[in-house]
Amino acid sequence: MSAASTTPRAAVSARQLAWRRRRETLRRGWAEFRQHRAGLVGLGILVVFVVVALAAPLLASSTDISVTRAPGGVLEHPSSTYWLGTDDSGRPVLSLLIWGARISLLVGLTATVISMVIGTLVGLMSGYFEGWGGALLFRVTEWFLVIPFLPLAIVLATVLGRSLFNIILVIGITSWPATALLIRSQTLSIKERPYLERARVLGAGRSHQIGRHILPNVMPMVFANTTLTVAIAILTETTLSFLGLGDPTRVSWGTMLDQAYSVGAITTGSWWFFMPPGICVILVVLSFTLIGQALEDVVNPRLKARR
Amino acid sequence: MAAAAGLLLAALAPAVALGQPAGAAEDKVVFTVGLDNEVDSFNPFLGIEAPSFEMWALEYDYLIGYSMSDMQPEPGLATKWETSDDGLTWTFTIRDDVTWSDGEPLTADDVAFTLNRILDGGPEAATWGSYLKGTKTITATDPTTVVLELKQPNAVLPLLPMPIVPEHIWKDIDEKAVKTFANEPGGSPAVVGSGPFRMVSGTAGGSEYRFEANPDYWKGAPHIDEIVFKVYKAKDPMIAALKKGEIDFAENLNALQVQALQNEPNIEAINGDSPGFDEIAFNTGAIDTGTGKPIGDGNAVLKDPKFRHALGYAVNLDEIIEKAYYGAGKPGDTIVPPAYANWKWTPEGDQAFTFDLDKAGQLLDEAGYTMGSDGKRTTPDGKPIGTLRLMARADSETSLKVLTFFSEWLGELGIDSKVSSIEEGKLTDVILSGDFDIFEWGWYVEPDPDSMLSYMTCGQLGNWSDSWYCNKEYDALYDQQHSETDDAARVEEVKQMQQIVFDDSPYLVTAYNTVGEAFRTDRFACMRPQPDPGGIYIFQYGVYNYLHMRPAAEADQCEGEAGVTQASDATESSSGPGTGVLVGGGIAAVAALAAIGFVMARRRSTAGDRE
Amino acid sequence: MTTLATADAAVPEAEARRSGGRRSYGRYVLGKVAGSAASLAFVVVLNFFLFRVLPGDPARTLGRGRLNTPEAIAEFNKTYGLDQPLPQQFVTYLGNLLHGDMGLAISTRAPVSQLILDRMWPTLLLVGTSTVLATLLGVWLGMNQAWKRGSFFDKSTTWTSLVLYSMPEWWLGMVLIALLASGVGPFLGWFPTGGLHTDAANPTVLDTVWHLTLPVITLTLAYLADYSLIMRSSLLDELGEDYLTTARAKGLRDLQVRNRHAARNALLPTTTLIALNLGFVVAGAITVETVFSIPGLGLLAVEGLRGPDLWLLQGTFLVASAGVILANLVANLLYGLLDPRVRV
Repeated sequence: MSAASTTPRAAVSARQLAWRRRRETLRRGWAEFRQHRAGLVGLGILVVFVVVALAAPLLASSTDISVTRAPGGVLEHPSSTYWLGTDDSGRPVLSLLIWGARISLLVGLTATVISMVIGTLVGLMSGYFEGWGGALLFRVTEWFLVIPFLPLAIVLATVLGRSLFNIILVIGITSWPATALLIRSQTLSIKERPYLERARVLGAGRSHQIGRHILPNVMPMVFANTTLTVAIAILTETTLSFLGLGDPTRVSWGTMLDQAYSVGAITTGSWWFFMPPGICVILVVLSFTLIGQALEDVVNPRLKARR
Repeated sequence: MAAAAGLLLAALAPAVALGQPAGAAEDKVVFTVGLDNEVDSFNPFLGIEAPSFEMWALEYDYLIGYSMSDMQPEPGLATKWETSDDGLTWTFTIRDDVTWSDGEPLTADDVAFTLNRILDGGPEAATWGSYLKGTKTITATDPTTVVLELKQPNAVLPLLPMPIVPEHIWKDIDEKAVKTFANEPGGSPAVVGSGPFRMVSGTAGGSEYRFEANPDYWKGAPHIDEIVFKVYKAKDPMIAALKKGEIDFAENLNALQVQALQNEPNIEAINGDSPGFDEIAFNTGAIDTGTGKPIGDGNAVLKDPKFRHALGYAVNLDEIIEKAYYGAGKPGDTIVPPAYANWKWTPEGDQAFTFDLDKAGQLLDEAGYTMGSDGKRTTPDGKPIGTLRLMARADSETSLKVLTFFSEWLGELGIDSKVSSIEEGKLTDVILSGDFDIFEWGWYVEPDPDSMLSYMTCGQLGNWSDSWYCNKEYDALYDQQHSETDDAARVEEVKQMQQIVFDDSPYLVTAYNTVGEAFRTDRFACMRPQPDPGGIYIFQYGVYNYLHMRPAAEADQCEGEAGVTQASDATESSSGPGTGVLVGGGIAAVAALAAIGFVMARRRSTAGDRE
Repeated sequence: MTTLATADAAVPEAEARRSGGRRSYGRYVLGKVAGSAASLAFVVVLNFFLFRVLPGDPARTLGRGRLNTPEAIAEFNKTYGLDQPLPQQFVTYLGNLLHGDMGLAISTRAPVSQLILDRMWPTLLLVGTSTVLATLLGVWLGMNQAWKRGSFFDKSTTWTSLVLYSMPEWWLGMVLIALLASGVGPFLGWFPTGGLHTDAANPTVLDTVWHLTLPVITLTLAYLADYSLIMRSSLLDELGEDYLTTARAKGLRDLQVRNRHAARNALLPTTTLIALNLGFVVAGAITVETVFSIPGLGLLAVEGLRGPDLWLLQGTFLVASAGVILANLVANLLYGLLDPRVRV
């Protein structure tokens, strides 16, 4: 407040102007996002899960997920004590779900960051640089795009071994090509825009062009694409866990599902162990997908006709 | 969407109706078994997975059989066997009424051929070679007599558990060809066996294997027409198939699944005793067997028997049985399972491990592993212990659970640890290279514990030993019991050895495991467990149930006791393995037993633990 | 599964290409074939080096505990060429591959190439049928959704397909087994619980269809959304285009407009996705084959995980990748034939 009053309106710096414009864009984006009911529903679901994950220690005692201090018996039915019954070690399934949200979201988000960084870098470079360097990067992207990701992930996970870090790494390095292609095509079209032409004429260096002009313009697209990648990363974690390639020492929805499957959920009739983690995966994947689609509409006006 | 799905189902309905096997049209009696693992080879010189052993037993005969009640040697192809006083000459008398499936007679020549092939080394010796170590010559002196001349006595005899293959077929398959010879129907040369069943279709690694009865089997024709093995990669569908009657037998279930099936009508579900144990094993100091220098990166604290033994008080076996074995199985203590009660030593009173973290802590304090200021225990010279790596087998949920429990209890003692899981192939590699701290695995123990005892000797370092345990006092006792002539004295020595291993704790024996099996009582009758009572129904030593089972309608014709009597009569008529067998012996015999134990343990633990 | 993400990546890509000049189909084919060949070469090289960075002694890992003497290990290394220097190993690997030799599976001692050939048909059948069904159903759904945009039909089917998309395929498979194979509550055990035939020795077509029903439904439902969403959005794009307005102005009935113009154009991005999506259907096949015990390539790969049987894993990875690359090439060539605009 005081800062604003001491600065004369006329003398607003370029930086402040940029910030203000950006804030304005964000505000408009949010206003537009709010038009998407599905996106809002997705956001709502996601917020609930994120809050649950962050507040896990408050919602469920950490001793609930310790095998030696598990309070219940083996596969107890849902009751007033254990709302969702217990698992095969006597741990309350509800507590496991709450703590598992942390690992599942962590895997999804971290793997996506890796995928996003690789994808954005490769995409920017291959789009910006003409000549053999860019062409090669583009080819590499295409090569990776056609490699079926699960066989590759299986091979990588076998070679690297089973740990949370490796799972994140494997998902991250198998899911970037789609992002890279998207960023490349965006970069290609932005490169042709007049203001970039002007910047070049004015002597802007490559890093300035990429950092100041291209990157800020492709970022919204990256962001929208990213939310879709998180959904895939979370699904991949459950699949790898099912194949026995997950980190078995962490409680995630994927390892819970795998455990319920190996105990024999259908035979033992323990639906409370098999259904809830699956439903949580569906809800979170769905929420990321919905948000991603809504964001795409916001950042890509061409797609608006779709809704 | 629901409409679309409904449409799909409707479209497929005729297929459903037509596709269902028309039960009425089938007049053949087919016994269908659900397996959870593939056969890895129908060539008896190549396979190592449990289902492969079962298939060979259906196709071929063996010199010696095993009794149903306690797995003692019984006549097979050999009607009797004799050993010279010095134990260096064994004479087997072979039946003269056995024919191969192509009509050729089975003679002593086939037996000698099979055994000589193994004796000659090469790929044939990989699985079976150790049984014949120390054998000089194997000759068929006449069509019904095979004579083994030994360099030194072999405690494993008369047990020769290799299938006997036909010379007139296998002589054309040389040592090089045998490495990839599939021995499957449709291949060349044709599959020729003498066993109670003949393979009709199937391929190693495939998902279905079909056998038909041999009506001319010398022990009498089986009472069923066909056996079909189907591989299910998931247990729930396998059990659903059993409930629906798509299969008649389900193998390798966990205790929770057995429990659920016990409420089902027309299904008998059991947790059969598996004579073996599971253990938490420590790296007690890996060395290069050539130079004697330490190898690997095992944590130094685990070299201290006091440290290891103290940890025995930090394992709540009752809880492990309840949560990791779902109530089936018994808490473990020594390396001889309770099934062999006469050999077993049981720690009593103060000696026995109880779950007592205070006592464990106190013992660690006394040994110098005191608590540091950070709440973590240190080595006697004040250095941090570091993080112990606990390796679970990726194929086994039980393995992972046991180590997860152990890790939490270690944490309460102020010792850091981290659980990981790796494939058994990789685990074997890290064990042999010494790059481990602690792992979980199991052993199958033979009726004579000699083999199991041998794994803990110094001579097995870098070989079958997986804890790198070496104790001269133990080794001396091992040699002594191996040449002991007095049974009672040998029992005492064996018990003493168990006590030494218990005190030094290279292993913390966690459980005596079981195998879950279930079958349809409305389809088949006359099934006998082995050992009887308390044992398992298939994957036995021998093929008793395949041969004796009958359709449920013929339940009143079971051979039951008659079969037992017959068997015991036959045993009396032969010269059983007297005490002479136990006399002498030697490293050869040790290795031989070790080999079968190793193979069995591996096949048990690869197949037996997958839930 | 990534198609929801790649779908939009592919569209601007195609658009960027449209602005470029045109080329003859021959040159287009040549370029695409060269690209696929490069992809394949990349996979072949990747395949070799991935397995060479494996820590530990391959002989002991692969020997599954049977090789316990130095001689046995040396012999194993010699047999498999592991005693040679790395470049030499690579040459041997390439040479063998040219002859279709991918080594022996450690567990069954059978040639990996033979195992893969044996296991290929169930997977092709499963993946092929599901892809065709998912595409047809997805395109039909997408078209109707777009046409009846905002209707109850549009909303309910879009939501349903999105929920199905969000499920792990194997979880969906287990739920279907519980409902339609085991028979829970009002549902009956209509379908078999696993396998490909009742009697593998005498397979009949109907019996195979009956066994494949649940797995095919599982994969079809799981991948439906991929096709319906892209069809829906590209059709909506097309419906906004000017020429359609012209067509309408000319008095063509709505239905004809949809069928003749919009749907045909909207199909193009969908066709590229079929091939691109194949890699993910293959992924789905791996878990679905495991749940339904179908002896296909996916199950073979899962069996290779035990041990692990590296040569088997290597072989299945190579074949799966080659299959997807080939399918993409075919789709690209067809695409180029159908839509000359993409021939950049």
